[in-house]
Amino acid sequence: MIFKQFRYEPLNQASYLVGCPKAKEAFIVDPIEGLGSDFYVLEAADLGLAIVGVFETHVHADYVSCARELAEVNGCPHYLHEAAPTTYEYTAFADGDVFSVGQVDVTCLFTPGHTPEHTSYLVTDKSRSEEPWAVLTGDCLFVGDVGRPDLLVGDQALDVMDEGERAQTQFKTITERLFSLPQHVEIYPNHYGGSLCGGVNMSGKVSSTVYYETRYNLAMQKPDAGAFAEFVRDTAKPLPDDYEKIKSYNLGLIDKADLHGAGV
Amino acid sequence: MTPAEVRAAQQEGAAVLDLRTPHPFAAEHLEGALSVQFNRADLVDRVEMVFPKDLPMIMHGEPEAIGKVAAKLLSDAGFNVQGHLEGGLKAWKEDGLPVVQLPSLDVDELKERLDEFRVVDARDPFEFKYGHVPGSGILSWTEAWYEADSAEDDPPIAVICGDEIRSVLVASILARKGKSAELVTGGMVDWVERDYPIEKGMD
Repeated sequence: MIFKQFRYEPLNQASYLVGCPKAKEAFIVDPIEGLGSDFYVLEAADLGLAIVGVFETHVHADYVSCARELAEVNGCPHYLHEAAPTTYEYTAFADGDVFSVGQVDVTCLFTPGHTPEHTSYLVTDKSRSEEPWAVLTGDCLFVGDVGRPDLLVGDQALDVMDEGERAQTQFKTITERLFSLPQHVEIYPNHYGGSLCGGVNMSGKVSSTVYYETRYNLAMQKPDAGAFAEFVRDTAKPLPDDYEKIKSYNLGLIDKADLHGAGV
Repeated sequence: MTPAEVRAAQQEGAAVLDLRTPHPFAAEHLEGALSVQFNRADLVDRVEMVFPKDLPMIMHGEPEAIGKVAAKLLSDAGFNVQGHLEGGLKAWKEDGLPVVQLPSLDVDELKERLDEFRVVDARDPFEFKYGHVPGSGILSWTEAWYEADSAEDDPPIAVICGDEIRSVLVASILARKGKSAELVTGGMVDWVERDYPIEKGMD
């Protein structure tokens, strides 16, 4: 397996390449406009890999995505969970679906809470083991913190749950879906450090393990969903600038020109 | 360059360097194209090791950004780069220009039909010495451009390397020079993994 994390420091955002050196193919997860479509094209080419799929953990609200463009130039699918309410077409998957490049499996693990369509990706390198090795947790679980549940407020199209319900869902998702994974599984988040997608306890460290976060993630030490929701609210950072506009672009509701440089 | 411009330059002797991965190349490529692995770190060094510096070259990368970057890197290093193909294979085919395949076979098929081929190993001599397909000879990737004209291709040549990067390069050079050559997919990695017989030394 070839696994690479790309960090965009201005927004403390992490995107990923998951590939197989034998098949010479790769998936890109959560590509960001700040780095740009060509960045991923050239990084994959440097590794001798052709990009055959672009995945997003969810429709982002804090940065501009370049997933549509990257999928288009590579002539490959743009994958999102079937609940993603975009105005453009994408290739929909459901919980449990598996996509492969050579010996590497990417299993879709539905982890709603931060957003209703949020999905984590479980990575298994079958050339090493049938057990999963890593999970890309998107904005569900961060190192030391969790994804904030309040970024959709005001977005009528998506307002299917209020903030409290989302926090409860988030707590249940992390407990039941992520912390039930084998303890050795590595965690790779969509954000770290100063990112506004989580709270003040988000670590600058860019990876962790299920074992470590189960024991030391502060929000997840709370005894129940109610206490968790309260903690998340009390430790939240300010809302990202222009998040409604950025989300609208990522949903396909407005054009890139209408962003006026926001979220890059 | 438009597909028509690339075709015209080819007819004047320019070589198209196809920077895609080996499998898509084998499936379909511009007639006469040479398969070269892209990598910003060492593309210039490798091209220098394989081709003469005055060879007129055109880049074909997909997505197009790869062709553009390769053209700049090689041009800055003093190679005779004429440009890159715009619109990729899609535009080329829409203009009705010729595409060809590189025949390929996997290691199981090679073992089965070993006596039907002259097996040529595209790796460096030190790697060949360590272990190779019984009866095979060396046509190393750095020598291929200069020695391909004199290569015997009856029976047809099967080109192998560690995986597929250097074998596809050598096979594409042989094909460009009119030789009958096939690519062994999976290479020595697969051959060894299946525990097929190995010959050591340089005989």
